[in-house]
Amino acid sequence: MTLVDERPAAVSSTELVEDLFRKEYAHLVSALTRVVGPSNVPLAEDVVNDALVSAMHAWRFGLPQDPKAWIIRAAHNRAIDIIRREQRHRSFLPELATTTALTGTIEAALAPAAESVSQLAMMFAVCDPGLNRETHMTLILRWLCGLSPKEIGQAFLVDTQTIDRRLHRGRGRLRQLGRLPDVDDLPDIGARRDSVLRSLYLLFNEGYHGSNPDDPVRPFLCEDALRLTELLLDAKATAHPDVHALAALFCFDAARLSTRLDEHGVFVPLVDQDRSRWDRARIERGLMHLARSATGDHMSRWHLEAGIACEHVIAPSIQKTDWDRIIGFYQVLAQQSWSPIVALNRALAVAERDGIDAGRRELIALAGEPKLSRYPFYWAARADLERRADCHTAAREYYEQAIVLARSPAERVSFERRIESLEIS
Amino acid sequence: MLIFRGGAVARHDLSPSELQAHVEKWYRWSDELARQGRRNAGTALDNPGAAVRGHERVVTDGPYAESKDLVTGSMIFEAASLDDAIDVARTCPTYEFGGSVEVRPVQDPRI
Repeated sequence: MTLVDERPAAVSSTELVEDLFRKEYAHLVSALTRVVGPSNVPLAEDVVNDALVSAMHAWRFGLPQDPKAWIIRAAHNRAIDIIRREQRHRSFLPELATTTALTGTIEAALAPAAESVSQLAMMFAVCDPGLNRETHMTLILRWLCGLSPKEIGQAFLVDTQTIDRRLHRGRGRLRQLGRLPDVDDLPDIGARRDSVLRSLYLLFNEGYHGSNPDDPVRPFLCEDALRLTELLLDAKATAHPDVHALAALFCFDAARLSTRLDEHGVFVPLVDQDRSRWDRARIERGLMHLARSATGDHMSRWHLEAGIACEHVIAPSIQKTDWDRIIGFYQVLAQQSWSPIVALNRALAVAERDGIDAGRRELIALAGEPKLSRYPFYWAARADLERRADCHTAAREYYEQAIVLARSPAERVSFERRIESLEIS
Repeated sequence: MLIFRGGAVARHDLSPSELQAHVEKWYRWSDELARQGRRNAGTALDNPGAAVRGHERVVTDGPYAESKDLVTGSMIFEAASLDDAIDVARTCPTYEFGGSVEVRPVQDPRI
């Protein structure tokens, strides 16, 4: 114990890195789990929580020079205390047996150099083929994004008990592993990578157009999805053209994030988004990933979706968009895995390339799809085309249908506004 | 002097982002006081500690109070009056998680 504390030098007017606590939670829980073994995840969680509480406590009157290093040191000290205390009751890995070995092992595990290795190990361990998709997502949100069970429940409109049950199932599964394996040692790396990418895709979508009606766009989840995807590129075993394709897709979509809602929190359709406010740096990063994704011998779903998103963000306007290429991508996507949403988007692209009537025909042909008849954007799309064909009465009827089905105020008000723009005598 | 008791540190159910959001409110608060020209010096106290008592100077382990009453830190600043100091104490972020603040004038030994 230090009685005269090295007083945190009050660094006025500096700010903490955004989401530092969440990111360090993810970093340190993964790192400590590698040391204490997956059967002791709760111990790792307690250590990290204690470290964050003491940071919150100690920094009330000023930040330390290096907040991240401060948290790591606090976790390091706490981990050593708790492991020593628990040593009699639990079996830890042999490298924790003596004090010197313990200190050295913890030091190395928590060092920033090991940061991506341990988070990758954790991500691939939780995307276990024996667990379902919802559980993969929940465990990623808990251990790799640092969200509490309550926060995960709020994001997905699921009650906290359900989230706790999934965490419990995940812990049980992890307990069967003696150690958190490094990704280089995983025999089923390919299958796990597909699960990881799918979970990250869902995570991104939850941030881009999420299920919480009061807060449908949460950029931090998109940022986390991109951060974790790019982590996969740090290790040889997990770097893969598909990963670059997914990262490209995230970059292109994230570049448009700030223009998707207006200042009243209402969805802005693509045609009305201010393209000058799209994030150029993000688009460049996406183009870099897209170029690197082209090294493989196959086109994954992520390649196709990234290709479509790319055409949108590099086009100077709706009219100057390369709809031909976009329709080509949708065509292949539909061949690989047809879905009504893919068909809807294809129809809208056809309307731009071949004219309103061609688009209307395609949309009408989809009217029997049960998933689309409940999907507000299907009706809004039909309404948009009717409006552009000057059939304002039909447009109004379809917008009203979209309003009935709207899942959030952001959607509803967006459709209401379009009704207001109609000319109906 | 403001003496802070309890608050977020007594809670065990806060998420990483809640902890970060809370500490940001605190240091912005002390920055803001400084900007208003109220030079202030805050001290955060750590746990556990010890207590030394009586003739025999018996040492016992801390903490000595229930967590909601535990002193977690203090801050000294200049105020025009007790009411002025109370107004400052009212703006402290600690109440968000059930903390309390004791406001006490520091005596001046000078004549």
